[in-house]
Amino acid sequence: MQANVGAIASSVPQEARAKRDARNDRLFSWLLKGCALLVLACLLGAAGATLWGGRHAFGTFGWHFLVSDAWDPSSDTYGALVPVYGTIATSFIALLLAVPVSFGIALYLSEVAPPWLRTPVASAIELLAGIPSIIYGMWGLFIFAPFFADHIKPWLTNYLGDKPDDGKLSWVAQHVPFVGKLFGSDYPFGASILTAGIVLAVMIIPFISSVMREVFQTVPTRLKESAYALGSSTWEVSWDIVLPYTRSAVIGGIFLGLGRALGETMAVTFVLGNAMKLSPSILDPGASIASTIANQFSEAAGLQKSTLMALAFLLFVVTFIVLLIARWMLRQMAHKEGR
Amino acid sequence: MTESAAAGIHPQSAATHAPIAPTKIKVRDLHFYYNGFHALKGINMDIPEKKVTAIIGPSGCGKSTLLRIFNRIYAIYPKLEAKGEIVLDEENILDTRYSMNRLRSKVGMVFQKPVPFPMTIFENVAYGIRHHEKLSRADMDIRVEQALRSAALWDEVKDKLKQSALGLSGGQQQRLCIARGIALKPEVLLLDEPTSALDPIATGRIEQLVEELKSEYTIVIVTHNMQQAARCSDLTAFMYLGELIEFDRTEQIFTKPGKKQTEDYITGRFG
Amino acid sequence: MATDSSLYTQRRIKNIIALSLSVVATLIGLIFLAWILWETLRQGIGALRPQLFTKITAYGEDGGLLNAMVGSLTVNMIGIVIATPIGVLAGAWLAEYASGTKLGESIRFLNDILLSAPSIVLGLFVYTIVVLPSTALTDGSTTFSGWAGGIALALIALPVIVRTSDEMLRLVPSTLREASLSLGIPQWKLTTQILIRAARSGIITGVLLALARISGETAPLLFTAFGNNYLTFNPSDKMSSLPQVIYQYANDPGEGLHAIAWAGAFVLTMFVLLLSLASRLVLSRNKVSHD
Repeated sequence: MQANVGAIASSVPQEARAKRDARNDRLFSWLLKGCALLVLACLLGAAGATLWGGRHAFGTFGWHFLVSDAWDPSSDTYGALVPVYGTIATSFIALLLAVPVSFGIALYLSEVAPPWLRTPVASAIELLAGIPSIIYGMWGLFIFAPFFADHIKPWLTNYLGDKPDDGKLSWVAQHVPFVGKLFGSDYPFGASILTAGIVLAVMIIPFISSVMREVFQTVPTRLKESAYALGSSTWEVSWDIVLPYTRSAVIGGIFLGLGRALGETMAVTFVLGNAMKLSPSILDPGASIASTIANQFSEAAGLQKSTLMALAFLLFVVTFIVLLIARWMLRQMAHKEGR
Repeated sequence: MTESAAAGIHPQSAATHAPIAPTKIKVRDLHFYYNGFHALKGINMDIPEKKVTAIIGPSGCGKSTLLRIFNRIYAIYPKLEAKGEIVLDEENILDTRYSMNRLRSKVGMVFQKPVPFPMTIFENVAYGIRHHEKLSRADMDIRVEQALRSAALWDEVKDKLKQSALGLSGGQQQRLCIARGIALKPEVLLLDEPTSALDPIATGRIEQLVEELKSEYTIVIVTHNMQQAARCSDLTAFMYLGELIEFDRTEQIFTKPGKKQTEDYITGRFG
Repeated sequence: MATDSSLYTQRRIKNIIALSLSVVATLIGLIFLAWILWETLRQGIGALRPQLFTKITAYGEDGGLLNAMVGSLTVNMIGIVIATPIGVLAGAWLAEYASGTKLGESIRFLNDILLSAPSIVLGLFVYTIVVLPSTALTDGSTTFSGWAGGIALALIALPVIVRTSDEMLRLVPSTLREASLSLGIPQWKLTTQILIRAARSGIITGVLLALARISGETAPLLFTAFGNNYLTFNPSDKMSSLPQVIYQYANDPGEGLHAIAWAGAFVLTMFVLLLSLASRLVLSRNKVSHD
């Protein structure tokens, strides 16, 4: 009986505490939710701010903006084609070089390398991802671009391009369509679309290869073992079993690298040459959206500033879509694994 | 709930036995569903005060599920639903108006694996108390010491109260969790396979502790270890496929079980 | 045992070629890593001198990087101090409150996108919402500022911290939640005092990684912190930063400035690599103590 009285007496402050807890819990969950919604606000805000900032450019040039290669501050006429082309060309070259190398690295680290070597090599490759992009830029500008100009570019222009030093066209330049134009250049320096593509490739290799390696490791051992049991070689198991099994995640990883390459500023700005001129040759300098903004925004005003904002909006929308596809592909893989 | 239906659920089902003790928890027509799966099918039982009640049965029979309803810990997960009544001291705890705070200060729980908080040993015990009562430093010290003594842990940890609880052995951690539970002075203590992660010596100490604690607490222990149920419980409930098959005095269950299924399980013919 | 030996040989050769190419690919990756690190070390150490840490950039070739280092530390700190609480709480919401809900899944998904969004666009976003309004409100006396730079870096650090906090909290065993709730501890206390503490070292790792990431960021600072040739500790002023001075000096024709830029690149690289090393150590130490 006595215990019962005690229970009732103590239940009054207890009820008050329960109410207070419930209220605090509710406030707390709102606070947390608010913080999480900030992520959404950042994305919407970035899109909204650049669209708003670019409204004059979009309004002045209309759809023509996307296909015009004009860039003339003196007459205030701007088009997006040169930086858009530069962005796409450098990123495409970067993927072309980085994907096979990344696949090779992932294959080596998951199937070929002796186990004791895997962790140190993987950490070393991941170290590449940790180096700030400005360092890539400096290395590209002072070390790689001169090296490229001295040792790689002459070879490419002389044997493949339509503007060789001695004026004699090579067989390839004469007979294979487009190649001559693609590699023809009389620009004497190392900065070019190809140089930027190579530097970007080095930057995104660690991203793509680590995604590939991770998903290769998720392939069930019994699946690989049953293929080996049929007498398959390591390469056959990798190409016929591992790659199809992980296909969507591998594509996701590639798109992730593409997203990085499209939006990269510093590494590209140093080695692209910043020429606002469309050239068919990948050995000529060019411009990307990010490098154009980085170079011109501080000094720009009026319509030029608005144009740069409009370009930023385009860049943001395109990378958003690419990254959306990347994450979606990676998620397909995660679902398959039942994670 | 008719009286005749309720009659079979008292552990003193044989008319010769007098009631063992006043009832602490009355379970009436309890059903439990998760994701549409009917996990408990109409459980009725009366759990007596200050006795040890063991719940046994093959894995998946619903014994842990039942235990987890007694303090409504299941409610932290979505898509789980309990129907029926669980009456603790004349009040239905499944009623949503029943305060979670009050329920959890009255019903303590110890889990399969020891789960010390990432804090010092002292803080592990004091943390829960602090949430329910405002105590002075000195009172808190006394309270923590009492709890650690009741959990037979004091002598082993009194010199390292300021050290992390993560450094204790598994058995010590589990006794710390029991101390943490009884520090709130609950009336009921739920033990969910408390020794399944422990070695035989640590298990022995926990069983001994259960024996000591039953003078003050109503203890419900879920175990997959039949010897453990036989050693340390007063009453044993046997569950199978979500139903309560038999509930009686422990010696009755283990010597003269009333149902064929119980006998099969006890003698190891299945499960 | 009638095996077609020519087919067998062909398959064997194909295998050997493919595997050799994988070795070549790995070597290419390692060669570039070694090349970049080697040049940074060689050029950077060659250009290191004490005045880098004592003089400011206003002296040009005879100056140092003191104001840039102070500026970098200041804007990085502002970024981390803003991003850490928001990121950890948002991560806690994803892990503890929103698991399985549509909104939660969408935000987790969008956070991963923000993680690799172009930082230059985030810089323009902060330019629009911080620099332009402060210019308008103060009649142009405050324009670019360390605060704006810090906020831009916070937006870059945020998704890193959200993601690691979310992941680390989801690794905390659910038994810990059950044990706390069975003592009647409310959700907010459970989250702030137990779960975040249990996931502490993982969360610290995330913060260190975020710091490493923002330390090397240049693009978003160009239109927010802007740069300053003089030493200032006041974030309401324009502020310099290490990556930005490197960018500026590297694009200058002066050889002496290139040397300073290399020295800055060396300091920056060491700082970032040490941070990522430290974050690994924190994580591995945690694993040991939890066993």
